[in-house]
Amino acid sequence: MDLPGLAFAILALFIGAGAVPLLARFGRAIAAWAAAATLAVAALPLLPLASGALDGVVVVQRIAWLPEWGLDLAFRFDGLGLLFAILILGIGQLVVLYAAYYMPREDGLGRLFGLLLAFAGGMLGVVLAENLLLLVLFWEITSVASFLLIAYKHDATEARIAARMALAVTGGGGLALLAGVLLLGRMAGSYALTEVLAAGDLIRADPLYPVALVLVLLGAFTKSAQFPFHFWLPNAMAAPTPVSAYLHSATMVKAGVFLLARMYPALSGTDLWFALVSGTGAVTLAYGAYVALLKHDLKGLLAYSTISHLGLITLLFGLETPLSAVAAVFHIINHAIFKASLFMAAGIIDHECGTRDMRRINGLARFMPVTAGLGIVAAGSMAGVPLLNGFLSKEMFFTEAVAQPALAGYAYVLPAFATIAGILSVAYSARFVHDVFFNGAPVNLPRTPHEAPPWMLAPVGVLVALCLVVGLLPQLSIGALLHAASTATIGNEPPAYTLAIWHGFNLPLVMSLAALAGGLLWYRFRHFLYDLHERYAPNLSSPAAFERVFNAAAAGARWLLARLDSVSLHRYLTLLLVSTLGLAGFAWHSASPSPLAGPLPPTPADPLAYGALAALVFGALGCAFWHRQRPVAIIFASVVGLIVSLVFIRFSAPDLAMTQLSVEVVTIVLLLLSLRFLPAETAPRRRPGRAGLNAILAIAGGAGVAALAYAMLTRPFETISGWFAANAVEGGGGTNVVNVILVDFRGFDTLGEVAVLALAALGAHALLDGLRMQPQVPGPDRPGDRHPIMLAMLMRPLLPLALVVAFHILLRGHNLPGGGFIAGLITGVVLVLQYLAVGIDVTETRLRIDHVRLFAAGLGIAAATGFASMAFGLPFLTGTHGYLGIPLVGPVHLASALVFDLGIYLVVVATVLMVLTALGRLSQRELAPGRAG
Amino acid sequence: MMHLPLLPVLIPLAAAILMLGAHRADIRWARGIAALSLLGLAIAAILLLRQAATGSVVVVELGNWPAPFGIVFVADRLAALMVATTAAIAVPALLAACGGLDGRGRYFHPFFQMQLAGLNGAFLTGDLFNLFVFFEVLLIASYGLLVYGGGVARARAGLHYVVLNLAGSVMFLIGLGLLYGTLGTLNLADVAGRLAVVPVADVAPVRTALALLVAVFALKAALLPLGFWLPHAYGAAAAPSAALFAVLTKVGIYALLRLSSAAFDSPPGAALFYPWLLPLALATVVVATAGVLAATRLATMVAHLLLLSTGMLAAALAEGGVPMLAALLYYLPHTTLISAALFLLAGRIAAVRGESGDGLVRAAPMPGRGWLSAAFLLLAVAVSGLPPLSGFLGKLMLLSAAPATAAGYVLWVVFIVSGFVAALGLARAASTLFWERDAAALPATATAGQAGALALALALGFVPALVLGAAPLSAYARATAEQLAAQQPYLRSVLPAGAAAVAREVRP
Amino acid sequence: MEALLATGIGTLVAAGLWLILQARSFSVVLGLTLLSYGANLFIFAAGRLAPVAAPLALPGAARLADALPQALVLTAIVISFGMTAYLVALALRAMAETGTDHVDGREDGP
Repeated sequence: MDLPGLAFAILALFIGAGAVPLLARFGRAIAAWAAAATLAVAALPLLPLASGALDGVVVVQRIAWLPEWGLDLAFRFDGLGLLFAILILGIGQLVVLYAAYYMPREDGLGRLFGLLLAFAGGMLGVVLAENLLLLVLFWEITSVASFLLIAYKHDATEARIAARMALAVTGGGGLALLAGVLLLGRMAGSYALTEVLAAGDLIRADPLYPVALVLVLLGAFTKSAQFPFHFWLPNAMAAPTPVSAYLHSATMVKAGVFLLARMYPALSGTDLWFALVSGTGAVTLAYGAYVALLKHDLKGLLAYSTISHLGLITLLFGLETPLSAVAAVFHIINHAIFKASLFMAAGIIDHECGTRDMRRINGLARFMPVTAGLGIVAAGSMAGVPLLNGFLSKEMFFTEAVAQPALAGYAYVLPAFATIAGILSVAYSARFVHDVFFNGAPVNLPRTPHEAPPWMLAPVGVLVALCLVVGLLPQLSIGALLHAASTATIGNEPPAYTLAIWHGFNLPLVMSLAALAGGLLWYRFRHFLYDLHERYAPNLSSPAAFERVFNAAAAGARWLLARLDSVSLHRYLTLLLVSTLGLAGFAWHSASPSPLAGPLPPTPADPLAYGALAALVFGALGCAFWHRQRPVAIIFASVVGLIVSLVFIRFSAPDLAMTQLSVEVVTIVLLLLSLRFLPAETAPRRRPGRAGLNAILAIAGGAGVAALAYAMLTRPFETISGWFAANAVEGGGGTNVVNVILVDFRGFDTLGEVAVLALAALGAHALLDGLRMQPQVPGPDRPGDRHPIMLAMLMRPLLPLALVVAFHILLRGHNLPGGGFIAGLITGVVLVLQYLAVGIDVTETRLRIDHVRLFAAGLGIAAATGFASMAFGLPFLTGTHGYLGIPLVGPVHLASALVFDLGIYLVVVATVLMVLTALGRLSQRELAPGRAG
Repeated sequence: MMHLPLLPVLIPLAAAILMLGAHRADIRWARGIAALSLLGLAIAAILLLRQAATGSVVVVELGNWPAPFGIVFVADRLAALMVATTAAIAVPALLAACGGLDGRGRYFHPFFQMQLAGLNGAFLTGDLFNLFVFFEVLLIASYGLLVYGGGVARARAGLHYVVLNLAGSVMFLIGLGLLYGTLGTLNLADVAGRLAVVPVADVAPVRTALALLVAVFALKAALLPLGFWLPHAYGAAAAPSAALFAVLTKVGIYALLRLSSAAFDSPPGAALFYPWLLPLALATVVVATAGVLAATRLATMVAHLLLLSTGMLAAALAEGGVPMLAALLYYLPHTTLISAALFLLAGRIAAVRGESGDGLVRAAPMPGRGWLSAAFLLLAVAVSGLPPLSGFLGKLMLLSAAPATAAGYVLWVVFIVSGFVAALGLARAASTLFWERDAAALPATATAGQAGALALALALGFVPALVLGAAPLSAYARATAEQLAAQQPYLRSVLPAGAAAVAREVRP
Repeated sequence: MEALLATGIGTLVAAGLWLILQARSFSVVLGLTLLSYGANLFIFAAGRLAPVAAPLALPGAARLADALPQALVLTAIVISFGMTAYLVALALRAMAETGTDHVDGREDGP
């Protein structure tokens, strides 16, 4: 795949982000050079496209990625993209140079530059994305990168909280943006920017336009720290100053206003847009400017002034005259230039003085004249002093404010507001200059400031030079770029405007002069304002508030979970039952109505059946009723099991009856053995009230199943089962259809079943292995006479005999009732008796078998028959049978299924043995703890 | 290669048998066998995927008995995808277990292998009762893996888990009995065929039988209100077991998907998910999100994230339609793999941190903080659906597939907000685990083996794989959704002559 | 006869449910045993209750009982036997770990 240039530019930054931390091992210089080189390489593919972009050519490069979801790696390069690419890569270079000197020696710079490059990659992706989903993707990358950069000094609590706060605000905004973009995509029928921008009328006409607009604006406003989402930005100043200069003044916070510019043709031009955008912008502009003056922290002042200027740009995008968009773009450029330089200057001052408190750093002009000079020029630009770039865009703003047609009848409102905003920004700029560089002498600074090293001043110098150049020769320096960017923003040729310092003596100029004068006056009375602020302004710290909110949410979540989930099996089972009953009832009733009883006539019931039912009910209810007297309950349960096997016999299922009976015996012994270690009687229930609920649930469940059984029994049905009887002899080579199904037709079920059996026994062994338990009730049998002699004598001959019987049943199983399971269980029963007679040790010594290997053998034999058939190119478990001529004996009918059945037999025997042994050892250990292990 | 669909079951089964045979031998034997088994499994999974990617549905008739009488294994796109996902997480999980955990108790490796056999069997079988059997296999294996290592928490959570699932098995049996007692067959394709011709009088019982199966599958999928057991069980399990369990809940989703595709456009199955599933699914997402915020241990946080994904998948299931299912089928492997990796990460952190374990409390800086925090970042971004990783892509698909209805927009809000909250919760956890330091606490003395680190590194490979492979995977997912919607490929391959041609007799 | 069998199955299920709701491991074991009896009878009932011969395909045999449900039930019986054995072991283990036979592992539980 040939990589288009734009994609390569972004990819280069991410590759650099990965590589620089590794290179940093070879020293800080290497890291810095590598970072700078990465930014340069990223710029290369853009250079050939630049001139085109200046002439208004829009380049779109697309790589299909997930076309069916509308997500393509599509990139776009136009005037706006060019402008931001220059900001990102250009200022990035300066920041790298600056950081190399600013960051403390012990910092290896690898992590910092890695994250900065990752951020740059995300940011470049945002401004070059042609696919809106791709834009969101990069947007959130910048959020995550900013999270990590703010938490750069993660030993500081405020840094950690500030980082999470920024993630919450900007990341959350990004998710809102995602939703908005998805809506826009649905309206425009595509996520391609070109088509979305072209579909502006369609979008504005859509009923969901307000929703989409609000969602997109949420993204923009959070990112650009618009009121009331501004609070994350001042706290983000916990990041190292190079980060503040790069992310939180020049680039990332500009992503929001970039989005406004990007979506301008698609979303702007409605009253809602005007109200939301310019309204928010105006509030933010005023609020930021007002607070900025009151901040004693140098970076705090700059942060709030940034908020204020972002508000100004937002306000301009909100105004309806196309020229205001031009002014906005222009101010984006200017603000990036002077604010980055101011942050760097602030960093130098912090670096040299060891504090950023403006009440202590005064009169630095004497100590660091160069820094002072640069800072003063940059601050002047921020204040909008003539001959500096800030002045030009502010002048444009005033012009637009005057020309604004909206607010009919209140034509003076906006100009007045603009002037006040100007006054405030002049005031805090004045404070930055006067308080820091003049205003007496420093107040006990940690260290005496010196001029910073030239390489640290260089980036500041470059930016300040740009302030002057743009300020003096606007058309020459910035005209083409501004024109191209504005064209790209508005979507067509912007109305004529002239970039000049002197527009003649007009209202905007008066406003500027008024702002300058008023600003200085305002600053003059600052102490009065400080006092007011100290006394009346609520002193709320947003990090603390954020933590409080977050912890409250976590506590609420815990409360909710504790309510819902009591970690009680009773609760879980109740929920399961209620849900199942509800779902089943819903299913029955939402079906086409049909009577419960089917068409079949009832088969007559004989007295025996009534007796059996009575016994069954008696056993079941008795078991439920006397479950506290556990031995009694076991007896009742065994009665039930007995009746069940009788039912099997009655309805001609001999195999089932035999299986049920033998399982019954083994289970009872298991329960009796385990009972010795559980309380003989259940403690009385703690919540008697619950009995009612349990009874209702139990009866409802029972009634439901009974109803289903009745509905089923009274309906005829068409079944495939005739085939089994028809093919048992021919296909399976056996007359006992049940057994043939088990070992042949559905042999795979059986294989899985014996696997379950084996795993259950192994699991039981693993659980009880090495477990010591004291019996709750000392067994009735004391060590002396615990093995009844009679039984022991009886067992000696019985064992081999029983094994013979079992083997016979195994062999005949294929044709007559019997088979591996029954044989195995009968063997098991015998072993149980043996165990009861002579105890576990003798039983084990008498047949010394490795149970686990027995499992392996059983499963192995069963599986082997399957593999054997595979060897013949037949599917797994394909059976074969035939008559084997044995001399003197004559032909014997053999089926491969018999081998399979043998495997089953072994597994069943091993299961019974292993479980009994595990339980037996338990009971034995308490008799002779010495033999534990 | 006619046996191919069986190998994912037979290979681990054979491995388990060999392990039992050699249980006295040094544990390295078991590890060797396990490694070989996984190698074979991986190859089989890849072959299955490649075969399924051609759109062909391969059927094996076990014992060479014709469907619907014998049991069939059916390898279509969906089954292949699930088997491949299982194999993918099995490798790092096993590696992590070989760090010494497997020697700490009995029969870890046989249980691990049988867990795989059970899972793959459940994904591949085309017979409902055989599905029940494989459910039991994978359950009994999961019991063993869950309580492995002992301890109060595991015993308690294990008891709850086992009893709930045994109750579920009873429901499953009753449902199957009713289904057989009305439709007279157990083969899924045949069931689908019979459903179309159910006499009106029998629609209600058949529909109820389907509902019982749905309830069982919802229990396995841990859909609320049946899913409260999951965070306790998975949070208590040892990391490798938990990592493997990440695919366990997906069995429920898989079964629901299979059943809905086979049964839900017939009279008895019509609109069986409507109107209850979507609200429950969204409720699951909400509660799980609260659980992420409330978690005090990383493992429980991850367990709640898994629960969250169940809710999202169930919501997609409830909405239905090919685009939604396509999104679901990309999101499902994503969430399974990433959750598994997160469980391994939690285990690794607990191992290196010593007694403070994976608790979200300030402690001494952990050894290897650098790369562990990077791993956390990657996985957290992926799981919470932030760009640019697979979680974002999956969520994007789900959101854009959601219909432009009120329900669709509710789904948007719930998904987006839950992702946001989860991200904040994870950020807080990371801040506590990696950034806060308890000056008083002594540095961790626990010496964790390198296997855990290797396993984690391996699992981290899922992250780029899911992003770089997004295009082919999403294409495969869409084709799978279409195959499921079309039904015919599956039915025709199992019963070429159609259900009507099957010999039946009327009873009684 | 149908009604009788249905009643029997319902009773088994009801008793089993009552028992597993008792929150004591031993009662839960008993309850699940009764529940699986009920489920087995239910599947068995799916073969219907016609007076028929045992499913032995002997020459000249009369109409045979439905063998398929019988095979399924046999499988189910054996599986539930294994599960019961495992549950008993787990209950003992939980008893040893938590010191109580309460299924929530804490006496203060419901």
